[in-house]
Amino acid sequence: MIQHLATGFAEAIVDTDGDKALQLVRQALAAGVSPEQVVFEVVVPCMDHLCGLAASDGGLSVAQHFLAAQISSDVVDAMLPRFRRAPQVAGRVVIGTAVGDFHALGKRIVSGCLSAHMIEVTDLGMNVPAERFVEQALARDAQVIAVSSMMVHTARGEHGCRGVRRILRERRLEQQLKVVVGGAPYRFDERLFEVVEADAWARSAIEAVPVVVRLVGEAGGP
Amino acid sequence: MNALARLHAAMEGTPADRIPVFCNLLDQGARLLGIGPREYYASGEHVAEAQLRMREKYGYDNLWGLFYVGREAEFFGCREMVYAEDGPPNVGHMVIRTVEDVPRLEPPADVLSHPAFEQPRKCFDILRREAGGRFPICAYVTATMTLPVLLMGMERWLPLLLTGPRTLRDELLAKCHDFFVSQVRACRAAGADVIVYSNPFGSTDLVPMSFFREQSLPWIERDIEAAGRAGLVYYGGAARVNPVIETVLERTRVEAFYLSPLDDVAEGRARIAGRALCCAALNDIPMIDWAPAQVEQEVKRLVEAGKPGGRFLFGTLLMPLAIPEVNIRALVAAACRYGALDA
Repeated sequence: MIQHLATGFAEAIVDTDGDKALQLVRQALAAGVSPEQVVFEVVVPCMDHLCGLAASDGGLSVAQHFLAAQISSDVVDAMLPRFRRAPQVAGRVVIGTAVGDFHALGKRIVSGCLSAHMIEVTDLGMNVPAERFVEQALARDAQVIAVSSMMVHTARGEHGCRGVRRILRERRLEQQLKVVVGGAPYRFDERLFEVVEADAWARSAIEAVPVVVRLVGEAGGP
Repeated sequence: MNALARLHAAMEGTPADRIPVFCNLLDQGARLLGIGPREYYASGEHVAEAQLRMREKYGYDNLWGLFYVGREAEFFGCREMVYAEDGPPNVGHMVIRTVEDVPRLEPPADVLSHPAFEQPRKCFDILRREAGGRFPICAYVTATMTLPVLLMGMERWLPLLLTGPRTLRDELLAKCHDFFVSQVRACRAAGADVIVYSNPFGSTDLVPMSFFREQSLPWIERDIEAAGRAGLVYYGGAARVNPVIETVLERTRVEAFYLSPLDDVAEGRARIAGRALCCAALNDIPMIDWAPAQVEQEVKRLVEAGKPGGRFLFGTLLMPLAIPEVNIRALVAAACRYGALDA
């Protein structure tokens, strides 16, 4: 039953058929599958499977990433209140777009993918100053700051990731707060994350999950 | 041989002195004139002057009537652009806030006479007067399926496109199509020789192949049929187009493809198989940090991959402002040198 559900759920997401994915989950719950099984034996393995597809030659399209993130986080949100025990938080992340950048889709997809993996995400919105990234990360006891940029000048600007790094360095927070970046410019220049002094980058939203999990660990865990 | 004749030779596969070399500089114009972007983009005269001077300065082949991507939103009532000193303007006011705004959306009946086309028209007039018939004048037109991104943002358009109410989605696409056709006609009437048809939704980087075939392709066919193929270049907005080349060629008989830097040029050329012009784009984002010798090597690699068999053009994406002048000069010099042909 679970295997059948997991396969069907993943196929529906690859086919961008959100209705079918949700229908499968409803059928499984009606047949006695537990909310915990839906999350940990269907949604999370599906995201891991998609991570493999994303890293493959053809990759996954933005539309597939978007639906995977939206459906997975919706399912997880619906299942969590029905868990017998509250699940352990796997990490905390604050995310936003760099100053001057008004492209929200990327961070929205990343947030959905992270949430499905029990990583608590605080979305700071668009056009976020470096100081706010750091303040909010500290206020929310986060381990990772995620800075999204869709444009070259916002990725490289002094008030984006570089600004975050400068503040972390000045305040000696580099051990406890790690910085990950993502967005179109990083896909066109795989060394750019080093230029802007990030700790890591992710090619796609789904591939961001293992990167963030690693950084959470490097920052000392949740 | 002048640059326009060189482009025609490349499109038709006839002898020429070298391949065409397109360099896509926009925001650099404000810096050249020593003014801020808001003042620069408010004037068609400024844009035309800078386009002519930048082409003269670096020696590439093309001129742009495009001010910045996003300007099309102004035809629909966009009231705010966010200007930056170090990059292109952003759309600061989304005309469509919710799907309920779609029925109220009013595309202009005629782009050519619309106030938002007044400055681009001045720009085209000057380019045509000063360089028409000698240098290709390019226009950039956003495809029907991509235009809603400029009106409501990708984060609202993608859900509507994939899972939203079908009637509203189709109504929005129909309105965008009407605008698209009117804009192509206006640009051609104003003097554009080349229409860059920009459509990330025409790439399987954005949508899966099944969606591309069932949803994107019918609108692409409709767009190209209505606009006409003359001078039209299929461009995925920096997304890869190799996987769709054969299908698009079969269904539209479009005459040119502008590849992504992430496309393999030799593969793209093989898929086109001499049936259209193959345009390769240099990955100009890392070019910001390269030394001129690295620029030359990368140009050489791309030209050697694309030139054999002819019908090839070398180009760039919209080049970031941070690229050093010395690298732009290295790029143009290398493209002209390695792109030389036995006329």
